[in-house]
Amino acid sequence: MTQQTWDEVGGLLPHDEFRAASEAIVANIEQVIEGKTATVRLALAVLLAEGHLLIEDVPGVGKTKLAKALARSIDCSVRRIQFTPDLLPSDVTGVSVYNQETHDFEFRPGAVFANLVVGDEINRASPKTQSALLECMEERQVTVDGVTYQLQTPFMVIATQNPIEMEGTYPLPEAQRDRFTARIAMGYPGPEAELAMLDGHGAADPLQELRAVSDADTVRRLIATVREVHVADAVKQYAVDLVTATREAPDLRLGASPRATLQLLRTARAVAALEGRDYVLPDDLQALAVPVLAHRIIPTADAQLARRTTDAIVAELVHRLPLPHDRQRSPYDNRPAADGNGRAPYEPRRR
Amino acid sequence: MTPKGSPVTATRNLGFVAAAATLLAAAPLSAIFERWTWLIQAAIAVTVVAGVAALTRLVRAPLWGQVLGMLGGLTLALAWLFPAGTELVAFLPTPGTFAHFGELLSASVVDMRSYGVKVPDTDPLLFVSVLGIGGVAVVVDVLAVGLRRPALAGLPMLAIYSVPVAVYVDSVPAVPFVVGAAGYLWLLVTDNVDRVRRFGRRFTGDGRDVDVWESSPLAAAGRRLAVVGVVLAVALPLAVPGMTGGLLNAVGAGTGTGSGNGQGGNPGRIDLFASLSGQLNQSEVYEMVTVTTTEPNPFYLRYGVADELRPDGFRVRNPTGRPVTRDLPDPTQRSGTGNGVERAQYRATVEVSKNLNMPLLPAYAEPVRTEELSGNWLYDPNQQVLFSNRENSRGKRYSFDYVRSTYTPTALRRAPSLPSDHPIRLQQTATPPVEQVDTLVADLVRGRSTDYDKVRAIYDHFSADNGFTYSLTTKGGTSGQDIVDFLNNKAGFCQQYAAAMAWLVRSAGIPARVAFGFTNGTGRTDDGYVLTNRNLHAWTEVYFDGMGWVPFDATPAYGVQGSTRSAWAPDTDAPEPAATEPGAPAAPDDSEAAPEATDPDAADQDTDAGLAVGANDPTRQAPVWPWWAAGALALLALLAVPALRRMALRRRRVARPTVALAPATVDAGVGPAGEAGRPVTVVLDPDRARADAHAAWDELLDTLVDYRVRVDRTETPRATAERLVTEAVGEDASAATAVRLLGRAEELARYARAPLAGGELHPALRAVRGALATRTDRRTRLLAAVLPPSVLLRWRTALGNTSSRLVARTGDARYRLLRWSPRRLLATRTGR
Repeated sequence: MTQQTWDEVGGLLPHDEFRAASEAIVANIEQVIEGKTATVRLALAVLLAEGHLLIEDVPGVGKTKLAKALARSIDCSVRRIQFTPDLLPSDVTGVSVYNQETHDFEFRPGAVFANLVVGDEINRASPKTQSALLECMEERQVTVDGVTYQLQTPFMVIATQNPIEMEGTYPLPEAQRDRFTARIAMGYPGPEAELAMLDGHGAADPLQELRAVSDADTVRRLIATVREVHVADAVKQYAVDLVTATREAPDLRLGASPRATLQLLRTARAVAALEGRDYVLPDDLQALAVPVLAHRIIPTADAQLARRTTDAIVAELVHRLPLPHDRQRSPYDNRPAADGNGRAPYEPRRR
Repeated sequence: MTPKGSPVTATRNLGFVAAAATLLAAAPLSAIFERWTWLIQAAIAVTVVAGVAALTRLVRAPLWGQVLGMLGGLTLALAWLFPAGTELVAFLPTPGTFAHFGELLSASVVDMRSYGVKVPDTDPLLFVSVLGIGGVAVVVDVLAVGLRRPALAGLPMLAIYSVPVAVYVDSVPAVPFVVGAAGYLWLLVTDNVDRVRRFGRRFTGDGRDVDVWESSPLAAAGRRLAVVGVVLAVALPLAVPGMTGGLLNAVGAGTGTGSGNGQGGNPGRIDLFASLSGQLNQSEVYEMVTVTTTEPNPFYLRYGVADELRPDGFRVRNPTGRPVTRDLPDPTQRSGTGNGVERAQYRATVEVSKNLNMPLLPAYAEPVRTEELSGNWLYDPNQQVLFSNRENSRGKRYSFDYVRSTYTPTALRRAPSLPSDHPIRLQQTATPPVEQVDTLVADLVRGRSTDYDKVRAIYDHFSADNGFTYSLTTKGGTSGQDIVDFLNNKAGFCQQYAAAMAWLVRSAGIPARVAFGFTNGTGRTDDGYVLTNRNLHAWTEVYFDGMGWVPFDATPAYGVQGSTRSAWAPDTDAPEPAATEPGAPAAPDDSEAAPEATDPDAADQDTDAGLAVGANDPTRQAPVWPWWAAGALALLALLAVPALRRMALRRRRVARPTVALAPATVDAGVGPAGEAGRPVTVVLDPDRARADAHAAWDELLDTLVDYRVRVDRTETPRATAERLVTEAVGEDASAATAVRLLGRAEELARYARAPLAGGELHPALRAVRGALATRTDRRTRLLAAVLPPSVLLRWRTALGNTSSRLVARTGDARYRLLRWSPRRLLATRTGR
C-alpha cells in the first residue's frame, strides 16, 4: 500500500488534460445518475477540494448510488461502511489483534484506510462510533493504541443520511457536521430523467457495468491543479464577509467556523477548475454558500419557530451581502461609511 | 384648581413664568412711552397678581377663588400706585378710589387723543397701561396655570402687542415683538417640559436613561421642526409675489429702497437723504405722485425738510404743528409783499401712488387750505411740511390752495441781514467747524455786502466752470467730511449739492436748510405732472428776512430731469452771460418775474431731457433685460451642469486608449500572448487593461442608472451581465454579446490573474447604450440626457456622506461639551 500523504499530491495537469479527466469522471457517473449534473459536479468538486461529502435526502433518490458511482469511477481503494446502531469505533478505525504466530499485536486497519470511504446512513450509528471519524476526517490520520497511522491521499468520506426519519437515529454532532465540506441534497429526478432511469435500470444495475475512468494518481494531480487556482483578494474578502455575515446574522445562533471559510474557498477553487477557469469568482462562492455553509450553522429558536431553514437563511444572506470592491467605494453604496469593506448591515450581537 | 397630582412646585414655577412672560410680552409698550415708569409699575402689579395666585394655589383654592384673589390683588396694587388719597392704610380701596379710577379712565381717553407717540408719563395713561397689563397677567395665569392651556395665553399677550400696532400706522419696531415672543415661547417650553417630566423617566433610543442635564432626545425633532418652520416662514413670502416687505426688503436692498417701507410713523425718524439716494439709484422706475395744478410752471413739489445740522450731517427734525383742518398761516400777511415780491394763489390736486409711503405729504410752496385731509394731518408752518403721526401718504388724494412767492434779485438784495439774536438765525446757522469749508466761504463772500450776494456767490460756485459735475455714483453722506470730499471731488448729485450749499450758506451766517421733493419731471400731462422716483430731488432753501424761505437749486440742471430755475437763482451753466452774471440786473422787468424765470427753463428742460438720455442713461436707467438674460443663462448653465459632468465623465472613461500597445521585451507571463515565445510580442499592459475594463464597467453601471435599470450591489459582474441579457437589452444579439463581453472584462480585471486582452469595450458600450435607449421611454431618455440620474445620485450620496460625517462629528463634540454642561450639577440635586 503506497502511502501518499497530504502534501504529496504530484504534478500539475495542463488545462486540457484536467478538463478531459474531470469530464470523463462526470460523464461516467452520469451513466448511473441521470439529470443531476450539478450535483455530480459538486460531488467531484468536493473530492478535488480534499473535503468530505454529506449527502442528505429522503430514501430512494440515489444517495448511495451516487457515492458508489463516484467511488467506482476512480480506480482507487474504496471501503463501504454500513452504519448501524451496533457498529463500534474499532470497526471504523481498525484494531490491534494478537497474532499468535508472531506473538505480537498486529494492527488490522479499519474501514477508513482507503481513498474513498462510503458511510451509509451515518446517523444510525451511535455517537460513540460517529466520533471515530472525527480524527480521520480532519487530520487524515488514525490513532489506535497510541500509534498514529497516516491515511492516503486522496481521502474522502462520502456519508449519506436520511433527514426525515428520526426514529432510532443519532443526529450528527456539531463537530462532526463541521468536518463535512458540503452537504448536498439529491432531489427528485426530472420526469425525463426518471423515464430514462426506468429504461436504463430496468434490466440490470448500470452500477455494475461502471468502469473506472481515472485513478488515484490522476486525482492527486487534479487536486494539485485545483490548489493552484488563483483567488483574488476581493474574493477572499468576500468569503470572509460571507462567513462573518453568518456569525452576525440575527437569525443564527451559531455561525460558520473558520474551517468553513477555508473549505468554502477550497471548494470554490475546485468548482472554478471544473469550469475551466484558473481563477475563482464570487459567483462560485455564491453558488457554494448554501451547500458548504448551511449544514454547519444553527438557527435561533425564533427562526426555527418561523420554520426558516438554514438553507433559506444562508441564501438570503448571499442575496443581501454586497460585493467587496478592491477599487474605490461604489458610488451606489449609500450606506454611511462605517468601518468599510462591505460588512453585513447587521448590528453585532453580543453573545 | 391645580390638576390632580401635579407637584405644587411645578405649578408655582409655571405661575411665575407666566408672570414673567406677561411682562416680556408688554415690551412693545416701550415704543409708546417716552420713559420706563410704566414698566416699574406694571412689574409691581404683575408681581402682586402672581404672588396672590401662588398663595391661593398654596391653600388649594378653586379656580374662581384664584381669579377673585388675583383681581383683588390687582385692585390693591392699582390703589397703591394711583392713590386718590382716601385709601385706608395707603392701599385699601374706598369708593373714592374707584371714583378716582373712573376719572383716570376718562382722562386717559383725552390723553390718547391729545398726545402723539411717544407719550410722556401721565397718570391716566400709566393707569390704563398698568390696568391692561395686570388684566393680561390674570388671564395668562388662569389660562396657563389654571387651565393648563398656555398656547391660548398667547392671545392676551398679542392684545398688548396690538396697542403699538394700532398707534403706529406703518410698522412697529420688531425688537419688542421678539422680546414678547420669547416670553411666550418660554411659557410654552416650561409647560411642555413639565408635561414631559410627568411621563416618567426619559430614555434615549438605546434604552439609556436621559440625565437631567441632558436635553431630551425628542428635542432634536423639535429643533428640526422649528428650523423648517422658520425657513418656511422666511421663504414663503419671498416666493409669493407681493408679500415682500419690511425686514426682507430692507435686508435685500440696503438703504431705504422701499419708499418708506419699514420706517416708523414718526416723521422725524425718516432719513430722507438715504431714502432719496436709494430711490435715485434704483434701476426700476415707478410712479409716485400725480399732480395737477393751476400754476402754469410750478416750482418743485416739496415734502420734507432737513434743517438740523449735526457733525454727521443734516437731520430731519420732528415737525410740530396744528391740524390742517384749521386755518393755516397765510404768507400774504407777511411783510414784504410787493416791491419785487409777488405772491399768487393757485390750486393743486395731488394723487399719491402706493409707492410713496411716508408720514409726509408732498405739497407746493406754502399751502393755505387743504381738502380731503383728516385732522390727523398737521402742518408745520416753520418747516412748511404736511405731516402726520398716525397716517401715511400711501394712496392719498387731496387738494390744496397754495401761495407761490416769486422774488426779484433786487428785492432779495434789499432784504436786511437777520439780527444775530433772531431765533431762526440762532437755530439755522449753527455749523460744525470744518476748516476747509470756513476758508472757502470766507473767500467766496469776501466783498459781498448783502445776504443775497453772498448766497449767489456760494450758489455760483457750484458751476461747471468750477469743475462741478453731476454723478449719481458718489457716496451720499452729508457729514462735514463728506462735504469736504464733495468740494474737492466736485462730483455728486442733488443731495450733496443741496447739503453743501446749505452748509456753506449757514457757514456764511445765513439760515439755510435742505428741502426734499420732486422736480417737475418729464411726464407732463395736459394740466399736471406724473412724477416718478427718478424725479426725487433735494435743494437748498435760504431764509431772507421778510421774504421767508427762498429756494436755490445748486445741482447742475443737466443732471436733473425737469429742473426748474428762477430769476433769483438762474442756471449757472446756462450759456447766457447775463444769467451767470451775479451782479447784473437780472431781468428787464422785475414785475414779471415768474414768466421770466420760467422761460429759459423750458429750454432747460429740453436740454435736460436730451442730456439725460444721452449722457446719463447708462447710469440712471440701465436696461433690465441683460440681467434677465444673464439670469436665464446662469440658470441654463446650472441646469446643464449634471449633463456636462456626465459627458466629461464619459469622455474621460472613453478617452483612454483601449489597447495600449507596448512592445514587451520581457515576457511577463501575463496573458496567452506571452507563451508564444516570439522575440517581440505585443502584450497588453495588464494594469492599463484592468483600468480600461473598470472604466468601461463603471460607465455601463452609470448608463444603467441613467436608464433606470436596476443596479444590484450584491450581484457579480457575470450575474449582472446575464440579468441584462434577459431583462434589459432583449433579443438584440449584438447587444447581448456586448454586455457579456463587458461583464467578462470586468470579471477578469477584478478576479483573474490576467485581464481580458484586446476586447473592443467601447463599441460594446455603445451597443449596450443603444439597446438600452431603444427599450426605454422618451421621458427616461430625456432625463438621462439632461439630468443624468447617475450624476445626481453620486452628488446626493456625496452630500449625504458629508452630512452624516458632519453630524457624527458634531454629535461627538456635543457629547464632549455636555460633560461640561452646568446642568449636570442638577443631576446630583434632583435625584429621581
